[in-house]
Amino acid sequence: MPRAEFDAPLLIRVSGVTKSYGRLVALADVSFSIRPGEVLGLIGPNGAGKTTLFECLAGVLSRDSGVVTLDGRPLTARDLHAHLFYVPDGIAPWPAESVRWALEYVTGFFGGSTDRIEDVTRQLDLAAVLDGSIGTLSKGQRKRVALAVGMLTPQRVLLVDEPFDGLDLRQGRDAAAALRAHAATGRTLVLSIHQIADAARVCDRFVLLSGGRVKGEGGTAELAALAASRGQAPASHDLEEVFLALT
Amino acid sequence: MPSPRSAVGWLLIKEWRELMASRAWWILLALIGPLVGLSFVGAVRTYAEISAGAGAGCGIVCDPLIGIWGPTFGAYELAAVFFLPFVAIRVVSGDRQSGALKLELQRPLAMAARVGAKVAVVLGGWLVTYGAGLVAVALWRSYGGSVSGPELLVIAVGHTLNGALTIALAVAIASMTEHPATAAIVTLAVTIGTWIVDFEAAVHGGVWEQVAAYTPAAMVAQFQHALLQVNVTAIAIALAAGSMAVAGVWLQMGAPVARRLMQSAGVLAATAALVAAAALLPGYWDASETRRNSLPEPAREVLEHLPAPLTIEVHLAAQDARRLELERVALAKLRRALPSVKIVYTSRTSTGLYEQADPGYGEIWYSLGGKRAMSRIITEEGVLETIFDLAGVSPAEESEGAFAGHPLVSEPRGAAPLFYGAWPVAVGGAFWFVTRRLV
Repeated sequence: MPRAEFDAPLLIRVSGVTKSYGRLVALADVSFSIRPGEVLGLIGPNGAGKTTLFECLAGVLSRDSGVVTLDGRPLTARDLHAHLFYVPDGIAPWPAESVRWALEYVTGFFGGSTDRIEDVTRQLDLAAVLDGSIGTLSKGQRKRVALAVGMLTPQRVLLVDEPFDGLDLRQGRDAAAALRAHAATGRTLVLSIHQIADAARVCDRFVLLSGGRVKGEGGTAELAALAASRGQAPASHDLEEVFLALT
Repeated sequence: MPSPRSAVGWLLIKEWRELMASRAWWILLALIGPLVGLSFVGAVRTYAEISAGAGAGCGIVCDPLIGIWGPTFGAYELAAVFFLPFVAIRVVSGDRQSGALKLELQRPLAMAARVGAKVAVVLGGWLVTYGAGLVAVALWRSYGGSVSGPELLVIAVGHTLNGALTIALAVAIASMTEHPATAAIVTLAVTIGTWIVDFEAAVHGGVWEQVAAYTPAAMVAQFQHALLQVNVTAIAIALAAGSMAVAGVWLQMGAPVARRLMQSAGVLAATAALVAAAALLPGYWDASETRRNSLPEPAREVLEHLPAPLTIEVHLAAQDARRLELERVALAKLRRALPSVKIVYTSRTSTGLYEQADPGYGEIWYSLGGKRAMSRIITEEGVLETIFDLAGVSPAEESEGAFAGHPLVSEPRGAAPLFYGAWPVAVGGAFWFVTRRLV
């Protein structure tokens, strides 16, 4: 599995992002970095704040405080949209449209390249459903369409919320391979994943989120070392063990 | 290879396809035929009875504008209140619920373009429903009825403005609310609110009366009489633009609610200022064949050269039928011909029932350059005569002959099967064809 260069220059820095819903603190001083070309996994249990964090980063939800910088320069909402694209979980956009038309629309509307539609369709095994309406697709098929939508957009960084949710084992592996291949084209991916095994399969680095707080950031070895430094050494360097030790 | 079409172009196409896939719009389209047909069939029968009774030279009694087009196109007023908002709400709520809105908002694009595309497309869908009205016009012509192009044009402009205002308002409310059901309730509440304004105006007059002059119902009523007033048109456009701006503010999902509230307050203040300024705009076009909304040309010429400001003090209660008649047949026209005229209504009660015996009740006092005159006449001729006597002038005789009327005794042949049968079937067939082609 290809790995991104970890010593590559910093692309995006997320600093002190906080979001509350009344008295409920969904995100508390969340900070981490996104490096160019990497596949970063945002992992954490359900309710950790992963979706809230993605929505704050993508500018579809307001944050109470915090800043996102690109190479040290703070990004406005418009800048964010120029650099980041976010694919939410559980969506079925344009339900009356065929998959074929939706992919053409996404490419045209977001300024992507029409040449890529065929590749993405093949990678995500969408050929059989191209002429079906999105509203009639199964959960797994919708998820693959959502992934295709993200992969056809031109922004440098792609954020995908739960990319493997609703996919069976084979589909999940195919989707992971497609995402890795996509990252190999130079695009940076940030994937929110609650299944640790899935994250371990596809991601280069991880941000561990629990209770709205970042519990650790880095590769598996770095996270294991971090856990050990806190007196919570994991039984092995397996990501699941590391995650349990840190959260 | 990038698409040669612009983002706005793609958005317009997407919105149009979404509208075509919307059952709400197809239901509106299917129902508008029977609604227009019901009104048209009834109007043609009533018109025939009146024409038969009045005979040739029946004058303004046989005016298709009032007898046929008023009721026929009145169906569009109903549709704008009860159907159109749901079509407009769907274009926002559908995107919100499917997740499409979250995706599309990530494309840097002016909010005006996003909201404009939605409003333009739904307005386009509204214009398609005019097909039923055109069928009525064609049928009327086939019966030998008279059709006045300018009258129909002004009626169409009125319903288009009303449609645009309804759509913009519904889109704004749908943008502010999470669920379509909430948006529908709030939109209907706004509509009912305007009815309450109309009711209060009828009961109490005063400020309510001034505000009620610009409610959608009052606006449509003017256009239905083939009267296009610049101020009413400008106010409708300002309100629609303000609603679209509010929609744009609330579609910024990533902006804090406090900021959106502040921006909305700013938009509302700007819209209020625009409306206030637009209310002062002069000018109108009376497109009616009978010139029912205007004073005679010679009278208008004399009024333009009155030697001093004219004040009229009317001692009639808000609900008194005489006051309503006076306003309708004389004073509304006088205001348009002589914008500087000052009209004051005075009464002790709103009904006038217990004021009849009061000294001075029912009197209409005219003041011009220090001279005063009193009259109780509420007809156009009586009002003008009093003003001209006071000014010491007399207008020239009107050169144009009186409106002879367009009597037509005809059954609404073919209308019922066309509107109640062929129209819904054709719409159903079009729905089947279009939705099959979409996917």
